[in-house]
This record gives sequence, C-alpha cells and structure tokens, in this order.
Amino acid sequence: MKGPRLKIFSIVFGVIYVAAFYFDLALFRYYPAAREFHWTRTDGIGVVILWYGWIATAALASAAIAFAVPRKMAERLWPGWAWIIPTAVVVVTLIYERRWFV
Amino acid sequence: MIVVLLILHGLLAVGLLGAITHQALSVLPLASAKGQRTFIDRFRGVNAPAYATPIVVLFVITAIGGALLYPQYRIDVRPALEDMQNAAANGVFEIKEHLIAIGLGLLPAYWYFWQPPLTADASARRALTWLLAFFVWWGFIVGHVLNNIRGLLP
Repeated sequence: MKGPRLKIFSIVFGVIYVAAFYFDLALFRYYPAAREFHWTRTDGIGVVILWYGWIATAALASAAIAFAVPRKMAERLWPGWAWIIPTAVVVVTLIYERRWFV
Repeated sequence: MIVVLLILHGLLAVGLLGAITHQALSVLPLASAKGQRTFIDRFRGVNAPAYATPIVVLFVITAIGGALLYPQYRIDVRPALEDMQNAAANGVFEIKEHLIAIGLGLLPAYWYFWQPPLTADASARRALTWLLAFFVWWGFIVGHVLNNIRGLLP
C-alpha cells in the first residue's frame, strides 16, 4: 500500500473499528483463561477478549477498501478528512463510553 | 515474566511519550521572544520529521506489548476492579484500548503526511500529530494509574 491509499486506510479504519466494536463483529475471539482462539462465541471457557478481533476486522476491511479505491480518487481526497473523520470517531467513542461514569 | 513485560511496556511508553510530545509541540504555531530561547523553544526545536518513523515503530511495539499484557488484565485486574465496584477505572481502560486501536489505524496517514518533502498539508499533519499525542498521553496516564490503583485508592 503506497502514498494516498494510506490516507484511505486511516480514514476508514476508525469507522470500521467502532462499527466492529458496536455490532460485535470481531474477526475472532480470544479466551485467556483457556488460552484459545475461536472464530465464534464459545461458552464455558471463561472471559473473552474481543479487542484483538475488532482490530483485525478493521485492519482487513480498511486494507481492502484502500486497495479498492482508485488511486486518482485517493489522490484527490481532501487531506482534512484524514483527521476530521478519526476525530469524529473518537468523539463518538467517548460519548458512548460515558456509560461507565454514570 | 509478566513483570518484565510490564516494565518493558512502561519504558517503551516513556520513549514514545517523549518523542510524540517533542513533535506535537514542534508543530504548534508559537512565536518565540526575540533573542531569547526559552526551555519551551528548545523543547520544540527538534527535527520533527525525523521523529515520525521512530514514533510509528514505538507506537506499534508498545501496543503489541500492551496486547500481550491484556490477558492478565482481563483475568486478574478487571474482575478485581469490578469487585471494588470501580466502574470508572474499567471505563478509562476501555477508552484506552479504543484510542490505541484507533491510533494504530491512524499511523499510516500520520507517517504519510510526515514524509519529506513536507507538502502544504500542514494542518492535517499537525492535527494527526496532536491526535496521536492525546492517545499516547491517555494510554500512559491510565496505564500507570491502573497499575498502581490499589496504592492510590483508600
């Protein structure tokens, strides 16, 4: 992945990560007590870590989108989106996570 | 082993914090007093583009260290915090994991905008640097507070 496509990756990564987190779209799940990875929800083997799976989902989907977007379109993209969209994602995340503090 | 990893993670985070803070302050459009170089001026007066690749490498390695420590947190620390009914501590950690993940995704664009010759996209470069600095500072402070929380709380 080169040049302007890196911008596309970063712009969509945060959006897909938050969607993966909100809609439970982890690519895989890790069960630390059992030290096992599973593709799907598995009950009875302790707590689950979804964070790795959310990152993997976002990384793969963002890379696919970054490669799919035509290079010319990526070059024409306004540079401001590279920080405005991730900033908006952070704000949405912070608003959602207020649930821990009420 | 986990203690060694925790200390290593903390040391890498110190390096990352220093590097990103130097760079973040260097992109601030501040005017300095004529003829006088203050501590802040000297702190800001770094070769900022040279910091970009080391910051990317440090961010990734530190995040991997955190990912390796996470199972221990999930099994031992989080249930203890839940027993203490300390939802806020779990909340700030949840935010930390989201910010670090979003930060990992930001690194390609951050690195792209810092590649010489620096183009006219100074505002994007500045904003991405400040976003990453915010993530790193949040992660650093939350990590240290949670690591020491039993000593900090009455």
